[in-house]
Amino acid sequence: MAPSRTLAVAAVLALSTVGLAACGGDDDDAGGTVSMELWENATTGPGKAFWEKAAADFQAAHPNVKIKIQAVQNEDLDGKLQTALNSGAAPDIFLQRGGGKMAAMVEAGQLKDITADISAETRQAVPEAALKTGQIDGKAYAVPVAILPGGFWYSKELFQKAGVTPPTTLDELTSAASKLKANGTPIALGAKDAWPAAHWYYFFALRACSQATLEAAAKSKTFDDPCWTKAGADLKAFADTKPFNEGFLTTSAQQGAGSSAGLVANHKASMELMGAWNPGVIASLTKDTKPLPDLGFFPFPAVPGGQGDPAAVMGGADGYSCSAQAPKECADFLNYILTKDVQEAYYRGFNALPVNKAAQGAVTEDYLKAVLDAYNKAPYVSQWLDTVYGQNVGNALNVSIVDLLAGKGDVAAIIKAVTDAAKKG
Amino acid sequence: MSSDFGGEATAVAEDVPAGRVPAGDVAEQPAPRPRRCGIGWAQRLEIALLSGPAILMFLGFVILPVLMAAYYGFYRWKGFGAPTDFVGLDNYLTILRDSSFHDALLHNGLIVVLSLVLQGPIALALALLLNRRMRGQSVIRVLIFVPYVIAEVIVGTAWSLLLQVEGAVNGVLEAIGLGGLTADWLADPKLAIWTLMLVLTWKYVGFAVILFLAGMQNIPEELSEAAAVDGASYWQTQRRITLPLLGPTVRIWAFLSIIGALQLFDLVYIIWGQYVASTAGTSTMATYLVTEGRNAGNYGYGNAVAVVLFLISMIIALVYQRFVLRRDTEGALTGGR
Repeated sequence: MAPSRTLAVAAVLALSTVGLAACGGDDDDAGGTVSMELWENATTGPGKAFWEKAAADFQAAHPNVKIKIQAVQNEDLDGKLQTALNSGAAPDIFLQRGGGKMAAMVEAGQLKDITADISAETRQAVPEAALKTGQIDGKAYAVPVAILPGGFWYSKELFQKAGVTPPTTLDELTSAASKLKANGTPIALGAKDAWPAAHWYYFFALRACSQATLEAAAKSKTFDDPCWTKAGADLKAFADTKPFNEGFLTTSAQQGAGSSAGLVANHKASMELMGAWNPGVIASLTKDTKPLPDLGFFPFPAVPGGQGDPAAVMGGADGYSCSAQAPKECADFLNYILTKDVQEAYYRGFNALPVNKAAQGAVTEDYLKAVLDAYNKAPYVSQWLDTVYGQNVGNALNVSIVDLLAGKGDVAAIIKAVTDAAKKG
Repeated sequence: MSSDFGGEATAVAEDVPAGRVPAGDVAEQPAPRPRRCGIGWAQRLEIALLSGPAILMFLGFVILPVLMAAYYGFYRWKGFGAPTDFVGLDNYLTILRDSSFHDALLHNGLIVVLSLVLQGPIALALALLLNRRMRGQSVIRVLIFVPYVIAEVIVGTAWSLLLQVEGAVNGVLEAIGLGGLTADWLADPKLAIWTLMLVLTWKYVGFAVILFLAGMQNIPEELSEAAAVDGASYWQTQRRITLPLLGPTVRIWAFLSIIGALQLFDLVYIIWGQYVASTAGTSTMATYLVTEGRNAGNYGYGNAVAVVLFLISMIIALVYQRFVLRRDTEGALTGGR
């Protein structure tokens, strides 16, 4: 009994490793079929359908290509991807969040340089600022598929009730917030997850620091310019007016009706500062899980005394990368998903702003139009600061800003934490 | 607090040798096992075949990751590709100097002590209560034990919703006219650690009760009968017979509780999230590990923290085994030396 069972176990183990080894991308250059694996983060509904259709259409146009789609739960994606990249069995095409993680992948030689493969049509259709999000030192390692700028998502109905209009200056925001809070509908903030709190600091920094300072800090990782301190002081002064929901420190951002997005969805809060993925999150948390009918958008207001342009926008871009060993057809596919029709389908599948300028005409929701308007008027667009400065600095900002809002730390502690973290990474 | 060693613990508790008993005779000590020597190769082969798979799994999924963590801990590493940036003991020096780590260590120490001080007496009282025939005994047992069986994630989510500022706990207090007692149970640094202890006690006291009950089942009836004949009151019997004989069980429970408290992660992470924990004063070494390792993308540093946590737990476990559990496990683990 025992020996045969051991043998069986050994055989199963051996077979499973053989099986694992066969999971890599097969790059068949012998004129046969090329098969590619695509990892994306929509596991249900129209988002998943979009990828299935895009892959099928691409296969129809390129009979020698076969694309296998693997839908990975958004929260699991980063970890699984890291494991796959390190084990040398990486998917050929995968969702790329950019920033410090992408830089680490590039440094480890895990991404394909696609600078030369981005077609002239793509360069024409997609704005330079958006394409830049996938570049490091002038070389392209990813292409953006959607732009996700940040700003305030608000309830028009609740604004009307309180008799306020979307503010354009910090003073207007402060007085609007106090009126709204008096009505029992404060600003929602999901500080339990920390990054929504850190976003407040990013936006104050965007107004306080000039574009040159923001960009220089990405290289030098020094934060001694007085504008960083000003941003912290501005945030502290604003937070001292107590504009946020009760218990914001233990409110999560996106989980359940009690989360900050849920408070907006259920008219318990009047607005939330968040990226352009928020309409979808809010829609999933309304009572009937339909989009909030009175949802509106306004950009972060102007703040007096700063070096930054009051119309500058901050936001991220979801992109797609090819792994280092991917076949050349991978880049063809990336060009294909940036064409007008596919981008329009992407917008419909994900309710996100397409990067293709021609496809942006298909956008109908007025809140998305408001986002586009702010985006296209912006003199410059900054990536999320934790993307620009890396996870390491972003994490330190998360820690110190939660402390600041909880009344435990001060503005100087933010600068110190960031400087210390920059030394670590 | 406890960890996943419940099975082993009850196994130990079942054959605990009796300690010193002032009255009556002593339960027999189990004879020390004969030393294995001169077994034939056929037996060796059998042992190898039977234990081989388990040992391989253990090596692959326990020992190897520990060694890998020790290796990565010497590097500054972002988690992509092979680590190349060797920094020697830098990570460890940073950990030992980091005030957030000191805080986490302090909280861990508090949780260890408070777990023992709170759960021990409560569990003993409940076990004594349940150790006699009474109505509704099984219902009470189930009620006490259920929290221990529910998954940590569910417990954490439920409590975090209940304890929100706008949550049910404050709502009930308002409703019964105790509005003055409402508080920010989670974010207030003065309260948060006690909130955590409340949840931990509620969740893990059932485990201690079950262990103690199992230990009490093993105490021979004759002893209490003899005591009763000698005219001892109920309390005297409990104090002079039950509690002393329960010693080994209590010591094993305390051991599991300490190790569990040192490695506490899930409940804190779920109730407080990864950043508010340090602000509220409930961060632990394990949450520090995740915040400074995974969330900061500093995988080398995070592995170094894991090694520190491992060493601290290991040292405490060894010291405890050596000095506290020695009498209980003589002959079983220490080879009778």
